[in-house]
Amino acid sequence: MTNLYGRYFGQAKPLFYLTLKTTLLTFVTLGIYRFWAKTRIRQFVWSSTQANDDRFEYTGTGLEKFLGFLIAMVILAVYLGLIQMVLFFFGIVTFTAPTTEAAAIGQVIGVYVTFLAVLPLVFFARYRARRYKLARTRWRGIRFGAEAAGWRYALHALGHLALTVLTLGILLPRMTFKLEKFVTDRSWYGDAQFQQNGRWQALYPGLKWLAIGFVVIVVSGAAAFAIQAAGLFVIGTLVGYVIFLIGAIYYRIYAFNYTTRNKVLDGEITFFAAAKTGEVAKHVIVGGLLVSLALAVPLLIIGAIVATTAESMVLGGNLGIGAIIVITLLYLAILAFGAALSMIWITQPIIAHMVKSIEIRNAEHLATIRQRAGDDGADAEGFADALDVGGGI
Amino acid sequence: MTGRMPKALPTRWMWAVVSEPDPEARGSYLDGQTAGAREVSVVIDRRARFLRIRHPELPRGEVVWPLHEVRAKENGTGRGLRLLRVAGNEIEPEQRGEARLDLVDPDFIAALRAACPDLGKTDLPRGMLRKVGLWAAGAAAALALMVFVIIPALAGSLAVLIPVEREVAYGKSIVRQIERVLTGSFDTKLTCTGAEGQAALDAMEARLTDATPTEYDLNIVVFDFDMVNAFAAPGGQIVLMRGLIEAAGSPDEVAAVLAHEIGHVEARDPTRGALRAAGTAGLFSLALGDFLGAGAIAVAADGVLNASYTRAAETEADLYARQMLAAAGVDATGMAEFFERLEAEHGHAELPELISSHPALADRAREARRATETQGPTTPVITKADWAALRGMCD
Repeated sequence: MTNLYGRYFGQAKPLFYLTLKTTLLTFVTLGIYRFWAKTRIRQFVWSSTQANDDRFEYTGTGLEKFLGFLIAMVILAVYLGLIQMVLFFFGIVTFTAPTTEAAAIGQVIGVYVTFLAVLPLVFFARYRARRYKLARTRWRGIRFGAEAAGWRYALHALGHLALTVLTLGILLPRMTFKLEKFVTDRSWYGDAQFQQNGRWQALYPGLKWLAIGFVVIVVSGAAAFAIQAAGLFVIGTLVGYVIFLIGAIYYRIYAFNYTTRNKVLDGEITFFAAAKTGEVAKHVIVGGLLVSLALAVPLLIIGAIVATTAESMVLGGNLGIGAIIVITLLYLAILAFGAALSMIWITQPIIAHMVKSIEIRNAEHLATIRQRAGDDGADAEGFADALDVGGGI
Repeated sequence: MTGRMPKALPTRWMWAVVSEPDPEARGSYLDGQTAGAREVSVVIDRRARFLRIRHPELPRGEVVWPLHEVRAKENGTGRGLRLLRVAGNEIEPEQRGEARLDLVDPDFIAALRAACPDLGKTDLPRGMLRKVGLWAAGAAAALALMVFVIIPALAGSLAVLIPVEREVAYGKSIVRQIERVLTGSFDTKLTCTGAEGQAALDAMEARLTDATPTEYDLNIVVFDFDMVNAFAAPGGQIVLMRGLIEAAGSPDEVAAVLAHEIGHVEARDPTRGALRAAGTAGLFSLALGDFLGAGAIAVAADGVLNASYTRAAETEADLYARQMLAAAGVDATGMAEFFERLEAEHGHAELPELISSHPALADRAREARRATETQGPTTPVITKADWAALRGMCD
């Protein structure tokens, strides 16, 4: 039995400059370059990922993403423009000044109705984006692929989401597992099909820390209320919130490990994953702190400049158009700097860890796999981009 | 590099006649049909201008790629080079561009870069640019159609369908919101409460609406704010600013502004504008993507659009105001003088008409002057005492 191991060779420095450069170009082109930016970063990450000695290859292009975006634009312009206005109309029709708390809550819900109207499209876009990504990924010269099932996925996802919300999250593992099974069972590597085995109930232990965080918040809240101690409430909520956040990472990693270990390719090749919550949480928290610290200094300087110029303007001076341009450019440069830093301090280390945690078992069977026909890649993520689904890479 | 050295080193004169051997290296070949790599030897055949990829398992022992059809897949990592061959007519269509050749030898890669003329060329699929152009035009047309035709039309018909009491409630909340924005606080009230001033305002309203009844119950208030401005919110909510009343030379001038705002209310302009903004705002952020700063551009774009759209509404409201003043027997000279004063003070700083939400001040003053020529006998809109009370309303 031959095993292959995930390896990641991406270095920080080239990725930092690549992200900085492409983000600045995106600003300069008023956002148009974002399709090429995403492509170049994916090429970097895919090429840095290997299973043993064989690297992955990303064959997507910026131009086809731009085209997909234009296609999605034509459809979404009509749909969203109409939907939004009609919803706003009903918003006014049912509008009352929020005198009671219930009315205020009602209006908040009204805002989310807009969100619900877009939700099916969001799920649809998410599936299409994944399908495009698979269709443009090759390993050992063989391409991946997924079946066209965007609307069915949206339907399934909406059903599972409704069940999860109605059961107050108790059926979340069912949703996680069933959706993962939906996409895995429709994914291919060459002429070999993936298959998701396992049971959804097995994901329940993964909810452990989410549940503990929830209990901490509720118990400390109740205790604080009983003995009338505001301090206890604040501390309890804070601690519970941090546990909850890490619990969310824990759940995702747990689900990733479980579903990966229960995937089979072509009925022969199996997988193993041992990603660690601590490792991912470390990059999220420490990396996040480092990025904020690195950005704090330049942002404070800009803030000071803006504050003094604004003051002089109030005192009768006039804020020149030149000053506004300089401040805006500085601000954008800092944003690009921040994007590049979080790429190398948060995103890439997490990708590296996840890749290295994966093992492919019984790999000799790979030799029997043949190429699959090309996929036009649907709308090349156009919908996902327009709806801002699963941003970045 | 496994470039073969001759067994005996050539002497100096031999270099002149024996050409340099073709560069050769080991590589990893993926045929694009099966999931396995082959260790191959690769030679740049300079004379035939071929890249020869050799392995016993390959058909006839080698695959040849014409050098001008070899492309590199850049990946930004700086680790090795992955090559592919763009479509050649003699290969099976389904195999075109599928095979890959991985190289790591830096000397060989350098030689390859020198030998392949189009290594970094981007090959667009046939008809791709045409397709992009067509869809770009389509997307622009869809956006334009939505923004300039469908959304305004729909906003117009929806505005009429909203029950009046809902419109009033919505308008009131907008006025409160503006109050909050102007004061920057939740508690400070801007509305002036002078009882005699309010009575004077009511008298002015009655004078105007007696001759031209309005569909809406008007709710007119004065904000204690130092700005020469007035606005109408949905559902008959009209706000005059103290600065405007102080700047006015006569009550007739205030009446002209009030009549103009009533014109907006009766045409349901504020409601229509809010509906239209709801429709277009989403479209702009959609088109510009999610990169930071797009929000500001979207707002600016919406502002320009809003301006061109409302200029027609402003002209209509001016016309309504002139008719209302004439019906009430109020002198339109006040209107003309108000615009002339604004023009004298701000005319030089006026925005170009294209991006300004209002028609040029000089034109509006001229229209008002023309109206005075045809109007009947007039009396001041309110008494001198009422005018004094209105001016002192916020004290």
